[in-house]
Amino acid sequence: MTGFTLTFTEADPSDVDRLGGKGAGLARMTQQGLRVPPGYVIGTDACRSYLAEKAVPAGFVDEVFSRLTELERASGKAFGGVGGVGGPLPLLLSVRSGAPISMPGMMDTILNLGLDRAAAVALAEATGDARFVADLVARFHAMYSETVLGALDPGEGIDALVEAVDPAEAAGPVYDRIWAACEQALADDTGDSVPDDPRAQLLGAIEAVFSSWNTRRARTYRDHHKIPHDLGTAVVVQSMVFGNLSADSGSGVVFTRNPVTGEPGLFGEYLAHSQGEDVVAGTRTPDPVTEALAPAVLEELRATCAELERSQGDVLDIEFTVERSDLYFLQVRSAKRTAEAAVRIAADFASEGHVDLATALRHVSPAQIRQVQRPGFDDGEVEQARAGDRLLTTGIGACPGQVSGTLVLDSDRARAAADDGRQVILARPVTSPADLHGMIASQGIVTATGGSTSHAAVVARALGTTCVVGASEIRVDEAERTLSVGDRTLREGDEVSLDGSSGELFTGRFTTSTPAAATGALAALLGVAAGASGCEVLSRVTLPGDVEAAREAGATGLVTAVDDVLAATGHIDGLVSGLLGDAGIGAIADLVAAEFTPLLTAAGDLEVGVRAIDLVADEARELLQQTAVTTRHPELSVPLGRPALIEAQLDGLARALRDSGGRASVHLALRHVSDPGEARALRDLGEGTGIEVGAYLTSPRGVIGASGIAEAVDVVWLEVRAVQAAMFGLPARQLLTAEPLDDYLQRGLLSCDPRSTIDPSVETLLGHAADAAIRPGCRVGMRLSGAVSQEAAAQLHVLGFRRFAVDAAEIRPVVLALGKAALDAGA
Amino acid sequence: MTAPVLDKTDYDVLNVVALKKMASAPTIVTDTGLAADDVTTVLTGLSEQGLVVVAGDAALPTNEAEPALAAAAAVYYADLRGDADLIELVDRFETVNAQFLTTMSSWQQIDVGGRKVANDHSDSEYDDKVITRLDKLIARLGPLLDALAGHDARFAGYPRRFAAAMELIDAGQHDLVSSPTKDSVHNVWFEFHEDLLRTLGRERTE
Repeated sequence: MTGFTLTFTEADPSDVDRLGGKGAGLARMTQQGLRVPPGYVIGTDACRSYLAEKAVPAGFVDEVFSRLTELERASGKAFGGVGGVGGPLPLLLSVRSGAPISMPGMMDTILNLGLDRAAAVALAEATGDARFVADLVARFHAMYSETVLGALDPGEGIDALVEAVDPAEAAGPVYDRIWAACEQALADDTGDSVPDDPRAQLLGAIEAVFSSWNTRRARTYRDHHKIPHDLGTAVVVQSMVFGNLSADSGSGVVFTRNPVTGEPGLFGEYLAHSQGEDVVAGTRTPDPVTEALAPAVLEELRATCAELERSQGDVLDIEFTVERSDLYFLQVRSAKRTAEAAVRIAADFASEGHVDLATALRHVSPAQIRQVQRPGFDDGEVEQARAGDRLLTTGIGACPGQVSGTLVLDSDRARAAADDGRQVILARPVTSPADLHGMIASQGIVTATGGSTSHAAVVARALGTTCVVGASEIRVDEAERTLSVGDRTLREGDEVSLDGSSGELFTGRFTTSTPAAATGALAALLGVAAGASGCEVLSRVTLPGDVEAAREAGATGLVTAVDDVLAATGHIDGLVSGLLGDAGIGAIADLVAAEFTPLLTAAGDLEVGVRAIDLVADEARELLQQTAVTTRHPELSVPLGRPALIEAQLDGLARALRDSGGRASVHLALRHVSDPGEARALRDLGEGTGIEVGAYLTSPRGVIGASGIAEAVDVVWLEVRAVQAAMFGLPARQLLTAEPLDDYLQRGLLSCDPRSTIDPSVETLLGHAADAAIRPGCRVGMRLSGAVSQEAAAQLHVLGFRRFAVDAAEIRPVVLALGKAALDAGA
Repeated sequence: MTAPVLDKTDYDVLNVVALKKMASAPTIVTDTGLAADDVTTVLTGLSEQGLVVVAGDAALPTNEAEPALAAAAAVYYADLRGDADLIELVDRFETVNAQFLTTMSSWQQIDVGGRKVANDHSDSEYDDKVITRLDKLIARLGPLLDALAGHDARFAGYPRRFAAAMELIDAGQHDLVSSPTKDSVHNVWFEFHEDLLRTLGRERTE
């Protein structure tokens, strides 16, 4: 033996470089004690040698064949029909590529290799089904023609021939007939031929895997991902097992828990007397595994699943075959799951205690939390609408979402309405590329034609726009601008509501509400995360009605802003005239006192951080007539330029606190502070008011001087987005949108995405504030705006920050992200 | 009285403008393979005929554009419409188109225990398989595109655009698969499908 190959039993599963991903996985499963159909891996070194020499290395062929003899012995089957060492069942092989890193362009799997005439006869004898054998022959020929010989549409017209085979026919002539037809079709198409000697087929398949390493697509991929071109690919050669030999054979797929709901217990399907392809093809309806498997096999499957779930700390998706009551494992991988299931599974893993908490939380992400808490139509209203006559028609849900808006029947007008700021639901009989601009502008799309894979559905999903297709009862009259269903007619401009999951189109609007998000599982999961992180997370609020939702989401305190509260309560004109000096500063104190009383009452005993009026920021430009105000009062362009304005806000807050019962702990924080001198002046203003004072740091200078500032004030907030933007020299608002940065990053012009990652330069900078954060006397926190990435939360946690203020919708995602960060750091 | 049939170059340019609903001169150059100066001249002419409106950098079709294209296609493609070999390839397109749309959908949504869930693109092996399949389906359009190009060279623009999109996808720009705002594989296919229907004088059914 020259050592190009390793069996699943011999190979070291950690040697992915040599075995490739698939080979390593099969070696691991085998060595974990799972019954895996035996096989071997041809290491990447053989591929490298082949690519260099343009031929297989010396001794390679002999080694491949002697491994084959071992496989015959291990499986008790004979390659190339009877007459081998093994028993009467033929040994069929699967041949797959397996690079150390998965990449496109590599050769697909070839199944059922080894099916010559003798093998076909033996297999027909074992299964009693000549048509099944005919089907395998045709499939093998097509797969080999396509993957090894590069034929485009092999096997056309062969289906009918296979269908016509009588299961009871003699297999030999059937094989001859099918094989000859396949060969003829291939010869007409490409002029090629598939070797009929299984050993030649095996070598051909192996060489095809080696060659696929250098396809144009694989090379482009490696160039782009900086993967060396000389790694080479491994080849996995594995014996196949048969699920269609007998009544006590079959094949199935099982999840260790329900991937839709997360409910514990095996979830999957099994089809007795079948090969895996039958389950996929959907020609026969499979049964639930828990009902269809023989008790002993089910017991073994259950025990193995439980053990694998514990050892891998994850819910798994397992492909298996039962061959004459023996359970074989073909593939084990992490299960894909819905967001709801991810939450439930993490909560259950944490409470079951079989794995540590870091592992339990590993497979749930902040994005999944966002999805679970996404607002939708009010359930009660929808039920009433269905019971009444508001349900117009039901089509096919193509892209989920629930949206209400104005009905528009033409793409140009849809765009115009959207430009006017309206939420548009576009209804079309059929969509063409010329409708794209209207589809992009709309919040919902409904079409009369098409299925869930129509162009309209594909476009809507690419846009993430709620979409219903195939609502065939709809009649659109373009001239009259009406949409009718039966004898009911709507006019363009009417309000409608669309549900992209259920496919329902309603007349009129629905109120949207956050779903009863604090369901048991989510609350339990966030409880675990909060307990692990030990962080305070404050929520941004504006109106008293926001407070309860923030508290429910797990906020430990609140942050708000004087200008936001006055704008939301309709006092922006009063504020601006106060700032311009027309009404006097005292008027501002009265407005603050009046409008903060209900908010502080709702806050109860929570901490409330109030940002002072800010005339410096971008956002103030329109809202506060920045230019007019600062032209008349240039002193308002610096944080403490007009102390009386700060005094007025402190006075107003003190009165509101008193009138609300005085339970909340309130601070007023000033933006853009960068100097201990400013901080001390602010402290003096706060003296004796009963309101604490704080600083929002928005500049690198402020962050570097954080310790000195923290000495003077009670609270310091660090605005991470503003600081990142300042370090990049970009306007902070560019960090909230997809463009221009998406394109810029794609062109490789920035090494760090400042929207999702804390730049190394900023990490260094934040080190200055981290010292201040651990000193007693001042509460130092991070103010994060927009969606917070897991990565950024983890970076800030590692730097030592334990206090955060975020937008209301981000409370739950951030609580999870911080919990995961803390657990990973401790693990 | 019927309007005179569009000049062929006019047809090629107007066809791109109508397919896209709004097209800039550089895009028309890319799609038609015409020289930039020629495109500008043709657009001016089309504007004078009342078939497009040029607004800034972009041309938009007027309501007269579609009927003019349909009338011209009936003349220019009369031979093509009678080419039995080509029509046989067109019939096969329906199958490939259905497979293509299913593949696009599997790029966007994955099956989880019988429920469709948005693909979060965390499984690169799955994504690679879908991309490989797209590549094959595009290859399957080859014979039809070649046959069409045999009648009208402008159809050679589609393989070029498919190749450009696939090249970018392999370099990691996955939004070139189905983004409606880029010259993505789906957009090119969608336009080709529309173009094919117009060429053959057929109606879209979905």
